[in-house]
Amino acid sequence: MTAASTEGAAGVVAAAPDPDEAQRAIEYCYQQGWSDGLPLVPVSKPLLDQFLATTDKDPEEIIGSLEQVGRDVNVYLAAINAAMAGCEPRYFPVVLAAFEALMRERAARGGGFQSTSGPSPLIVVNGPVRKELGFNTAGGAFGPGFRPNATIPRAIGLIVRNAFGVHPHVLEQATQGLPGRWQVCVAENEEESPWEPLAQNGGVDGGASAVTATLTRTMEFVDNRHTPNHEDVLRDFQDTISRIGSQIFPFSSVALVLCPEHAQMFASAGMTKADVQSWLLERCGRTGAELTSMGKAEVARPGFRGEYEGDEAFHKFLAGPTSIPVVVAGAKNAAISMVVRIFGEWSGTSVPVVEKKK
Amino acid sequence: MPNAILDPTGTATTSAAKQAAPRAPRPASLQGKRVGLLINTKTNARPFLEEVGRLLEDRYGVTLTQRTKVNFAVPEPEDVIKELIADNDVIITGVGDCGSCSAAATADGVVLESAGVPVAAIITESFIPTADAMAALRGAPGYKYATTAHPVAVLTEDKVRERAAQVLDDVVALLVEPEKAPAAEAGE
Repeated sequence: MTAASTEGAAGVVAAAPDPDEAQRAIEYCYQQGWSDGLPLVPVSKPLLDQFLATTDKDPEEIIGSLEQVGRDVNVYLAAINAAMAGCEPRYFPVVLAAFEALMRERAARGGGFQSTSGPSPLIVVNGPVRKELGFNTAGGAFGPGFRPNATIPRAIGLIVRNAFGVHPHVLEQATQGLPGRWQVCVAENEEESPWEPLAQNGGVDGGASAVTATLTRTMEFVDNRHTPNHEDVLRDFQDTISRIGSQIFPFSSVALVLCPEHAQMFASAGMTKADVQSWLLERCGRTGAELTSMGKAEVARPGFRGEYEGDEAFHKFLAGPTSIPVVVAGAKNAAISMVVRIFGEWSGTSVPVVEKKK
Repeated sequence: MPNAILDPTGTATTSAAKQAAPRAPRPASLQGKRVGLLINTKTNARPFLEEVGRLLEDRYGVTLTQRTKVNFAVPEPEDVIKELIADNDVIITGVGDCGSCSAAATADGVVLESAGVPVAAIITESFIPTADAMAALRGAPGYKYATTAHPVAVLTEDKVRERAAQVLDDVVALLVEPEKAPAAEAGE
């Protein structure tokens, strides 16, 4: 047997790690039932300590509870799961902020993780931490290819699986789930956005690093590079947002993830983010007749249990600005945006990323 | 000595301490009892449980109370549980026809049973694994509930009544002490 060696970054010849031992460790993790299906990084105490060293929080501090299953997540467990997901230790403050943001969602604290809808978090990162940690802020915003974008949402998924104990086919009852579950972490393209960052809408001012999160059911693209008229493009969004299939209650919510080209088109027409939201709030919806024709007459009753208001009545689908958060992401190379279906409603808040005090 | 691979679940230290949840004592019969319907707001849950209640009125002269779950997805808060216990001799809850509400129905059941009130939770057959998992988590592995075929939400009014009638004997059997007579199999 020949001793393998590899050229280190500093030109130092280091012994390559033992792949057979690594594989045994990975298989061990599978056998324990810890994996989401993909290989995990086996976590040792020295690795864990590097994660814990990035925060001032006590390892025992409880950062989330799922009361109905009687399980808590503390900083210690979050760190193990983040390490297993493939995060670098320095990502850990972002993982903590993302988890806190997600647990602010009523749907996440309720039965969201157990739901037949199989919802997935949409995590949005703002501020200097995007560049510092090497997030993708440009093309291919929904992935893959970038370690922080890929591993941070995976860490959240592993926390839910392992620390909350919500496993598929048992406490997790997703009918079909959705592609990209536990994989969506978008770093906002603040450099090419004409507007304030999402974190500011969530109450974190001054361009500070912050994370926003909500649960989502799927996303649908709006490809409109066909017109110079911004109102035509808004009507295209209106059409997608007003789709009846995703409407199960009188009100619904969407996150609008605009490409820089669409965002800049609206801004050039003098629209603020709030203007875009208001335009869509007024118009997204359907008449009683349309809803009824697709078996959704229930949805055409105010408050769900009210009286059917008639075939002519127009039912707005979006309740207010927190029903339609707007994010700018992706490359400025085509006019392709995404309507992301929110499960429940966004809390309307963002969580600052708190680094360890030096 | 190599480093240990760390456990991400946090259960190694807590699972051993889990207490078994007691099951409530059953009355011999539902005759004249106060029956609480805990309706979980899922589509058709109300007509389903109301029909079960109506049939029990006819058959046993029970008195019905009705309550809507605060949130179908999670177990009821403590104050509601207290009121349910005060107002009823037995409770019927459902219809658990989703991931969170089926688990919540069994969780409510286990809590109420511990407080001495027999419960018949009704869930659809698709959610047996999640109901069982929740019961085990709450210290009541093997907790018994009634099942009906999935789905319930899309049934017509007539079909809902039919389903309620079909599940009635199972609901009654869950709520009363089984007869001790050896020839019981031949009865009813």
